[in-house]
Amino acid sequence: MEREVQAIYYDGATSKPQEAVVRVSDMNSLEVQLPNGDRFQWPLEHHGMEWERSSSLLRLSFGEHPRRVLLIRDEPFIKSFALRMRYTGRQGAYDRILGFARSGPVLFFLAVIALLVCAYVWILPWTAERLAMVVPQEVDERIGETAYQQMAFALEEDADRTKLLQEFGDQLELSPSYSPKYHVVKDEQVNAFALPGGHIVVFTGILERMDSSDELAALLAHEATHVEERHSTRMMARSMAGYLFLSLLIGDVNAVVAVVAENANALRNLDYGRGLESEADGEGQERLLANGVDPMAMVKLLELLEREAIDMPEQLAFLSSHPLTEQRIDNAKANAQELGTPAAPNTALEPIFQRLVPSAQTTEATPSSFN
Amino acid sequence: MFVTSPMKRLAFKGQGGDLFIVLLVNMLLTFITLGLYYPWAKARKLSWYYEHTELDGHPFHFHGKGEEMFKGFIKAIALLLLIYGTYAYGVYAKDVTITVIGLLVMVVGLLLFIPLVIHGSFRYRSSRSSWRGVHFGYHGKLNELYSMCLRDGLLTVITFGIYGAWFTINLRNYTLSNLRYGSSSFQYKGDGMDYFLMNLKGYFLTLFTLGIYGFWWQRDLFNYYVDNLSWNFQDGRKLQFKSTATGGGFFGLLVVNVLIVIFTLGIGFAWAEVRTMRFVLDNITLIGDADLNAVVQTEQEHKDAMADDLGDLMDIGVFF
Repeated sequence: MEREVQAIYYDGATSKPQEAVVRVSDMNSLEVQLPNGDRFQWPLEHHGMEWERSSSLLRLSFGEHPRRVLLIRDEPFIKSFALRMRYTGRQGAYDRILGFARSGPVLFFLAVIALLVCAYVWILPWTAERLAMVVPQEVDERIGETAYQQMAFALEEDADRTKLLQEFGDQLELSPSYSPKYHVVKDEQVNAFALPGGHIVVFTGILERMDSSDELAALLAHEATHVEERHSTRMMARSMAGYLFLSLLIGDVNAVVAVVAENANALRNLDYGRGLESEADGEGQERLLANGVDPMAMVKLLELLEREAIDMPEQLAFLSSHPLTEQRIDNAKANAQELGTPAAPNTALEPIFQRLVPSAQTTEATPSSFN
Repeated sequence: MFVTSPMKRLAFKGQGGDLFIVLLVNMLLTFITLGLYYPWAKARKLSWYYEHTELDGHPFHFHGKGEEMFKGFIKAIALLLLIYGTYAYGVYAKDVTITVIGLLVMVVGLLLFIPLVIHGSFRYRSSRSSWRGVHFGYHGKLNELYSMCLRDGLLTVITFGIYGAWFTINLRNYTLSNLRYGSSSFQYKGDGMDYFLMNLKGYFLTLFTLGIYGFWWQRDLFNYYVDNLSWNFQDGRKLQFKSTATGGGFFGLLVVNVLIVIFTLGIGFAWAEVRTMRFVLDNITLIGDADLNAVVQTEQEHKDAMADDLGDLMDIGVFF
């Protein structure tokens, strides 16, 4: 026999509240007595019986719409009632989790933070890579094609040299899964880039600063690795996964958190981008060797870039891949020594290169990057 | 016993720490279910706010269930995918005709959704809200809302946005005046011109005072919302809503909230929310001799949450 407590009763017919006296009977039902002498029972096992509790209020309701409601604010009663419902299997998972969180809020908060950090550091990259693998190759090609066509308006392509560069590239087998399409664009920037699916754009600025065919081969090998290893798709998958992760978290929270979180995510993606650059160097070197070009060519290319990039402002250094050039050079050297030199050098490249860059001489330095 | 006094008060009884825990549990469950928990999380959050909001010492209750909001959520997503899908397909297939059709469908479709979202949200939210066991309800007609939005939307475009003030007030007059609580009803009597002049004054004074007047502008907007609302009972008696908010009050609320959120890197968000709720509810009183005990249950249940979820996905805030 449990003790009686005061409750407020709403009968569902009008807005008039009534003071009721409530107790849980031995028959596992709720006995309610109203001031006018009316008595009734709500069986606790009944499917029409619902209960909810907030921090200091127990709300019981019974029947079909409009439901009848009892509000109880007696804390010991609420506790023993919740316990009773747990033993009879009528406590929902949510109430259990919330009860647990309320019993040790600081610990719970720290546990959630730890879980989120783990998920962000380990689970997220893993998921993103899997996600990228699922995207069919055809999608890469389509995205790259669309992007190139949109860009083409702004780029001044050198048709003759494009033909020569294509001839040069065709001598090498750099991207077996895609067939790279090479373009030479008239632009003073010391730059080159690859789009997903195979468009590789080389600016005249970088071309004219090259001394020999193996540097160009190294550049193409680097860019072709981006294409072959689907670096853009992986970057996109990573930033999409990161974005999803954040929007899951901050769906409820405000703008300040959103700004902090998104910037943190952007920085992390930048770091990931650097990792991909090194991968493009290393794997590019393997491709060079397989095509009869000395892997040391990658070192020469990186040194060329370092020479040309002296104008890069100091403040940007932290955010760009440039200050790592030295480290990339060291890595490339070590890698080249490990790989050795090709048994049969590729002799078809140099003649094409001579036609492509008739004046193999250096001009004044301009800011450079290649990615 | 429950005696009626000539003044009724609203109050907010929630604590920041408790809201923080509720939101944290929501976040955790949403996260580990990859977002699928979102509708349940929303229902839990609303329940928490309702349960801690009291009128005349009695809490409100939100009856919405995660399950029904989930159904609405799925329907809303399907609808949006269909709308965005045509355009996305057109771009993907590089078909100019489909792209243009998709773009039109997208713009027109999304605009056409707005009245639907307002109507559906009002119906769903009010039907799933109760106080002292009596449910709220919304009796507005979708076609009336459409013709009003179409007319006022066009006028707003033609007048380069000036008519927007009248549009806002017409919308408020229509929706709030169709709100029911059992056998009683609400009425909002705003005037577009008053609202326009108030905003004009607020805008220029805020500009001249380098933003300081903004808090007083905020007060005017709040007071205009509250003071024009009344609650009418079947016996002809009524309760008039009255705001007691001041510009200084808004200043203290907003400045401290911003500081709390910034210096806790967002973790103090829940405490800022609770401060806002307290401020808003503490500054609304209901004056009149109406009998709050005399309302009779009249409303049916309405469980379709699609419009409410659609509003969320489109980022249209129908409710504050």
